[in-house]
Amino acid sequence: MPDETKAVDFDRTFLPHMDAAYNLARWLVRDEHDAQDVVQEAYLRALRFAGGFRGGDPRAWILAIVRNTAFTWLKRNRGPASPTEFDEQMHSAAGEESGLEADAVRKADGAMIRAALEELTDDFREVIVMRDIEGLSYKEIADAADVPIGTVMSRLARARGKLARSLQERIGKDRIAKEPA
Amino acid sequence: MTCDDARVLMHGHLDGELDLVDDLEVQRHIEECPRCVSEYAALRAMRTRLKDDAFRFEAPAALKEKIRRAIPASTTARANGYQSRRGAWVPRAVRFAVPMAIGAMLALIIAPRTIAPALNQQLASEVVASHVRSLMATHLMDVASTDQHTVKPWFNGKLDFSPPVNDFAKDGFPLVGGRLDYIEGRPVAALVYQHGKHVINVFMWPTAGTATGAERIETEHGYNVEQLTVAGMNCWMVSDLNQLELDNFANLIRTKG
Repeated sequence: MPDETKAVDFDRTFLPHMDAAYNLARWLVRDEHDAQDVVQEAYLRALRFAGGFRGGDPRAWILAIVRNTAFTWLKRNRGPASPTEFDEQMHSAAGEESGLEADAVRKADGAMIRAALEELTDDFREVIVMRDIEGLSYKEIADAADVPIGTVMSRLARARGKLARSLQERIGKDRIAKEPA
Repeated sequence: MTCDDARVLMHGHLDGELDLVDDLEVQRHIEECPRCVSEYAALRAMRTRLKDDAFRFEAPAALKEKIRRAIPASTTARANGYQSRRGAWVPRAVRFAVPMAIGAMLALIIAPRTIAPALNQQLASEVVASHVRSLMATHLMDVASTDQHTVKPWFNGKLDFSPPVNDFAKDGFPLVGGRLDYIEGRPVAALVYQHGKHVINVFMWPTAGTATGAERIETEHGYNVEQLTVAGMNCWMVSDLNQLELDNFANLIRTKG
């Protein structure tokens, strides 16, 4: 029964990564229900293409499908994607802005971090989610996001720099708002 | 290293993704540059915050169930079949392991004089290849630390043996990290030491032989390779250090390892 063996392998290989799949989808589409639709669709596509899985890291493989499904979904439902390419060119150097301070980052609360992360462009957000929340290696990120491995670190550098600066700005505004007039 | 370079590379450093040379260079830069040190501290703090489970969304149970049900054919077999199929892997592994173990034992019994040099040569090539690979940008240290009490426990659960880990910084050979590697088709401990600008890889795995200090020095592709058996460990050292210095290092391993 070739069908069954295939399905069993699929179970064991890809089902353990449903949380990782959902986490990425949830951060990309930023909506609970839409994320569920995306993950379900991604798994059905994965099932169809599982024959093309040639070993390697199954989590990176399923995340690549989740990511494609999510971006297709976003384009269909929310119009053109955020202008990531343009943005990357604008900030080719790692950073020319103000320096970062650990204290400001530590003071940021959960809601601030979430908001700052959601405001990042898709490319930046996904690389932080994959690395810092999901714990993928650079190689796995390169596979999942379909970029050369050399791009992973530079993109991560820009993404983290933006996130940290955004947190610092939020902390600054918060402080001014709380100061007595 | 310029600040612009460091501000990208510090991310690889933070993530343990750099090769040894870049890793040490960026670390040196961070230590010396006040702007980069505060930037690095902020990035570390941010990474710590993001590790919080609060930022990781878990798939709802209903979704998981829906996906499970959507996968055909295996639905009914899964509940009890999962375990037994898992179990089926073990004999398969054993089927590989047994002939290999017998082969290894035979090699040890027959080997002493006749086959030993050939085996040695092949191992030496393998060890040098691992050494060269480790110096390229692709691989890295899995655990970068000069603290033997960090490096040694890191191997727990990754290997079925515990390699002796010592820092020889006092003697001019500081420990800089460790990683997992493969030699002779088995996972082995690789410890990374430094002497000046030279990197020394020490590969260790348990051996059935009990002889200590049966060392041999050879040159392979311009690298010096030294092998000795210490505390039940087969121990191979590779470096571009000259033979005398490598031998000094081997002596440290032999006496303190």
